[in-house]
Amino acid sequence: MKLSVAAVRAFLWRSALLAALWWALTDGRADSWGVGSVSILAAVSLSLRLLPPVPTTVSRIGLLRFAVFFFVQSLRGGIQVAWLALRPRFSLRPAIHEIPLRLPEGIGRVLLANTLSLLPGTLSVGLEGRRLCLHVLDAAAPTEVEVRRAETRVAHMLGLKLEET
Amino acid sequence: MTTTEIASFILLLTGAVFFFAGTVGLLRFPDVYTRLHALAKADNLGLGFIMLGLLLQAPSPATALKLVLIWLLALAASATVGFLIARRARQNGIVPWQSGDRR
Repeated sequence: MKLSVAAVRAFLWRSALLAALWWALTDGRADSWGVGSVSILAAVSLSLRLLPPVPTTVSRIGLLRFAVFFFVQSLRGGIQVAWLALRPRFSLRPAIHEIPLRLPEGIGRVLLANTLSLLPGTLSVGLEGRRLCLHVLDAAAPTEVEVRRAETRVAHMLGLKLEET
Repeated sequence: MTTTEIASFILLLTGAVFFFAGTVGLLRFPDVYTRLHALAKADNLGLGFIMLGLLLQAPSPATALKLVLIWLLALAASATVGFLIARRARQNGIVPWQSGDRR
C-alpha cells in the first residue's frame, strides 16, 4: 500500500476509534491494554485492507445534520408503525416503488438503503445498480420526496455529488 | 425514588411499549414485508428507549459508551438483516400483500 496522507489519517482515526471501543469493552481496566494494543493494531490493519481509505472526508456538520434527521425520522417511523400495529381497525395499503438513485455507486447507496428501512413507511427490498426497490406501507404517501430528502442528507454527510438520473 | 430513577423507569416502560407494539405487528401484519416494517422500526425505537433508560443508571462512562454501541450495532444489524430477508423474499417471488387481499 502506498503511504499517502489519506492512509495515515485513516490509520490514526481508526486506531483512536478502536482504542475507545477497547476502553469501553474493558471498562477502562489498565491491565488490559497489553492485549488491547495488539488487538487494536490487528483490527486496524484488517480494516485498512477490507475498507481502503478514500480521500473524501466525512463532513462533521453533515454528520450532525444526518444524525438529527435520522433520530427524528426513525422516531416518527417507530411511532407510526406501532400505531398501525395496535389500532383496532386494520389500515395498510402497501405498494412497491422503484426509485432511481442519484447517489454514486458505493457506500452511499448502501447506507441510504439501510437508513430507509428505519424511516417512516419505507423498507428497502432490492438494490440493483442505481435502482432502489422499496416496499411502502401507504401507497399514497409522498415516498419519493422522503427518499430524496434522505438521499440529500447522505450525500451531504459523505461529501458525495448527486448525479442526474 | 429520585428524579433520575423515575426518568429511567419511564424510559424503560416506553421502550417496552414499542417492543410490545412491534411484536403485535409481527403477529398481526399480513405478509413478510409488512412484518419486517414492524420489527425493524418499532424494535429499534424500543431498544433506543431502553438504552436511554439504562444510560441513566450506568455506573461508569465506559458502560454508558458500551450501551450506546450496543444500540448502534443492533440498528445496523436490523436494517441489514431486514433488507436481506426482504430481498430474498422478493427474489423468491413472494408477492406483497395488497389491501384487497384476505389476511
